[in-house]
Amino acid sequence: MAGKTIVVTSGKGGVGKTTTVANIGTVLAKKKYSVVMIDADIGLRNLDVIMGIENRIVYNLVDIIEGKCRKQQAMIRDRKLHNLFIIPAAQTREKTAVNPDQMKKLCTELAEEFDYVLIDCPAGIEQGFRNAVAGAQTAIVVTTPEVAAIRDADRVIGLLEADLLKDIYLIINRLNHRMVKKGDMMSTEDIISLLAVPLLGVIPESEEVVISTNRGTPLVHNRGSKAGMAFQQIGARLNGEDIPLNLEQKITLMDRVKRFVWS
Amino acid sequence: MVPDPAASFDAVFAYLEQRLSESRDFFQHAEMTLDLRGKPVRTDELSKLHRLLVTKGRVRLVEVKLEEDLNLLLDRPTDRRTLPPRIETPPVPDDLALVIRNTCRSGTRVVSQSDCVILGDVNPGAEVIAVGDIIVFGNLRGVAHAGATGDRSARIWALSIEPSQIRIADIVAVPPRGNKPTPRRFEIAEVQDNLIEVITL
Repeated sequence: MAGKTIVVTSGKGGVGKTTTVANIGTVLAKKKYSVVMIDADIGLRNLDVIMGIENRIVYNLVDIIEGKCRKQQAMIRDRKLHNLFIIPAAQTREKTAVNPDQMKKLCTELAEEFDYVLIDCPAGIEQGFRNAVAGAQTAIVVTTPEVAAIRDADRVIGLLEADLLKDIYLIINRLNHRMVKKGDMMSTEDIISLLAVPLLGVIPESEEVVISTNRGTPLVHNRGSKAGMAFQQIGARLNGEDIPLNLEQKITLMDRVKRFVWS
Repeated sequence: MVPDPAASFDAVFAYLEQRLSESRDFFQHAEMTLDLRGKPVRTDELSKLHRLLVTKGRVRLVEVKLEEDLNLLLDRPTDRRTLPPRIETPPVPDDLALVIRNTCRSGTRVVSQSDCVILGDVNPGAEVIAVGDIIVFGNLRGVAHAGATGDRSARIWALSIEPSQIRIADIVAVPPRGNKPTPRRFEIAEVQDNLIEVITL
């Protein structure tokens, strides 16, 4: 049975693509699925830092494509989860070192072995984007509630649709509920009405995200973090579980009690 | 340069030719505006003058002011590039409207030789250009240019008009800042007294 290949993209940089890949990958691996994450951002690799595996890199994506190593040699196993692997990007090469056909072939091969193949797409809509998107069946577009990010997300969705990739989902990152209530930030409803793509989840703005990325431990390992919870729900929805979207993200006292008891 | 309205064209031409050969360096690459508003001129005379100034005198003719509209004779490549895409000759009337059956996302550009119907939204960053009317069955949030060949009677119809910019023929309008009430049914943008008005229905 072939697994799912999912690309995480955005158009604009700095909206949280890599963080999303790291967290969703970890959530799915925690659910006992075999997961491989590919960093397609050749020349500007970051996924290894966020996963905290920077110092264990020997081979990379370009080495696999150029046949300098076997796939298994370049895959780095996560420290905590033995069914989670990372293929890092080459830092000293350029996006043109890989072409879309090669990526497609690699993704198809990996999908034979793994349940989920997650691809971290670089910012922009040039060669790097073309490479990252080539092998994917599903796309997740990450945006923040900023006009520029939404404009770019819209462009990217248009390009994906033109590539006949119809399975597109949206994640809204860094939403500040207080600012939305005051009318200072675009609301989830506004964004969805513009982009017209099914919503996978909303991640609230949080300092924890910065802390966890700097430490190299995905947020979903921390219990009780709101942003981590949001990622867990997103991972579950991606896995086909029916979890209602709680757009208000109100955490009541009852929720806290439940969570305390469950954990 | 303003030639004497009383002098004959041949006299002006001869004088100019003499001055150009005397002081070529002075005229070379100089920018010049030719003002012929006080003097009726025939098309062949104008093109003769233009040829003399541009090819022989190597003058960069910036503008020719005429009584009649003969501006087409000028070659002004720099100006033409900045102008919005414009179809030079009116196209053969073609009643087949262009129908787009999906949302125009950022980066999309739709050009129609007649009317244009969009069954979806026009998002910010998208452009719709039509020689005739533009009809959007959705929200118009991008740029729309109706009557692109200069037809001021062209109109823009949409369920909601909140564009980044709208143009009808040669008139450009930007929406006022601030929130506007949501229309009950649909909105029409049309030209009234040289201004683009958006009417809510």
